[in-house]
Amino acid sequence: MVVDARGSWCPGPLMELVRVIQEEEVGTEFELLSSDEGSRKDIPLWIDKAGHQLLRIQNEPGFDRFIIRKSHS
Amino acid sequence: MKRVIVLGGGIGGTTVANRIRKGLEAEVAAGQTQIQLVDREGIHAYQPGYLMVVFDKMRPEETKRDESGLLHRSIQLVRAEIEKVDAAANKVVLRGGKELPYDVLVIATGSVIHPEAVPGFVDGAHSFYDLANAQKLRTAIQQFSGGKILVAVAGMPYKCPVAPLEVTFMLDDYLRTRGLREKTEIHYAYPIPKVFGIDTVAQPMQRLMSERNISFHIPFNVERIDPAGKTVKGVEGETLPFDLLIAIPPHRGSDVVGASGLGDKGNWIPTDRFTLKLEGKENIYVLGDATNIPISKAGSTADYEAEVVAHNVVAAVRGESVSARYDGRVYCWIMTGMAQATYIKFDYLHPPHPPTPSFAHYWNKVIYNRTYWDITARALF
Repeated sequence: MVVDARGSWCPGPLMELVRVIQEEEVGTEFELLSSDEGSRKDIPLWIDKAGHQLLRIQNEPGFDRFIIRKSHS
Repeated sequence: MKRVIVLGGGIGGTTVANRIRKGLEAEVAAGQTQIQLVDREGIHAYQPGYLMVVFDKMRPEETKRDESGLLHRSIQLVRAEIEKVDAAANKVVLRGGKELPYDVLVIATGSVIHPEAVPGFVDGAHSFYDLANAQKLRTAIQQFSGGKILVAVAGMPYKCPVAPLEVTFMLDDYLRTRGLREKTEIHYAYPIPKVFGIDTVAQPMQRLMSERNISFHIPFNVERIDPAGKTVKGVEGETLPFDLLIAIPPHRGSDVVGASGLGDKGNWIPTDRFTLKLEGKENIYVLGDATNIPISKAGSTADYEAEVVAHNVVAAVRGESVSARYDGRVYCWIMTGMAQATYIKFDYLHPPHPPTPSFAHYWNKVIYNRTYWDITARALF
């Protein structure tokens, strides 16, 4: 599932991730696209605290692609 | 005759209907185009006013008006419950079976709060996302004599992303003027590891909190509220006590969206972020809270989107090419005290940089609130 949060300054890409991760099934993989530089710090921090899995981060021109798996309900 | 239907009489629906009418003035006057707006109650609620009601800066009656007085007289207001949109047949079905055919449809059905979705919310939390609860919170704050106040977000997405910050800063200021701040702890809990979703806003807001002795708990996602024990349990494992809890309820898109098979699991409508068309449909536009676009669900978003949608609806009705694109523009004030504010302005390409809070920014917000009915809602410019 792709979550395109590029240009999402308010409330922000991480808030969008928190929203969609609540709605999907355990095991779902997400591709979160973010142009916000703060996401490189916030998203790994939140995923660790919330107990989900950050599979990898791909740097693309102008944005980052975070590959995430929902680990629990 | 061409038929344009707008669903919803909030900020987005009202302004877009009036803008479309202005653009199609000659066609409407000649009877070649009909514009209808469908709303369940026909009462327009100015929801940004609810926070102002909490702190006695607006009266409850100032937050609502009859929709018929806001729409241009040539727009037909249909006061009816919508059963569903039959997008395949280009018609809106009303409760009772009446059908309204359309050539172009604009969906502005907004968002709906669901406090019952969080265990303990209804009995344990105050909120200000509807007028009745804003008035109850006003009373609770007036009767408050000291203790722990907790502001928390109990679900996402929620409209007006800056509202938790605003109520926190206004409370701080209000309690200082009443001489109660020394007897009060203010706690702010937010679902991500910073006090707001974007760094350029979170950093100055976090500094303000520290200066004003406001504690923050991040990340904190509300799992359940214990009204008797006066605690909030977070999914991250932390439990926060309170004497007065102000929480932001979870929101969903309108049930009409679900009944029409147009939305995702939260009843948010998949919408092209630039054209504002319902994905896969050329003659249906979506604006305001109803979309799934990951930007602020806020009145200014709906207002700016209405400019684009109206421009394109006018072109579509005339058979011209549809070319206006929404650039993600949003403008929101952030109250940082009872008579002090800053603002955020941004679009898809440019993040916000809030200026130093001032009385002047606050006064601009006051002017906007007071002129909303006669300028923005009527689409005067």
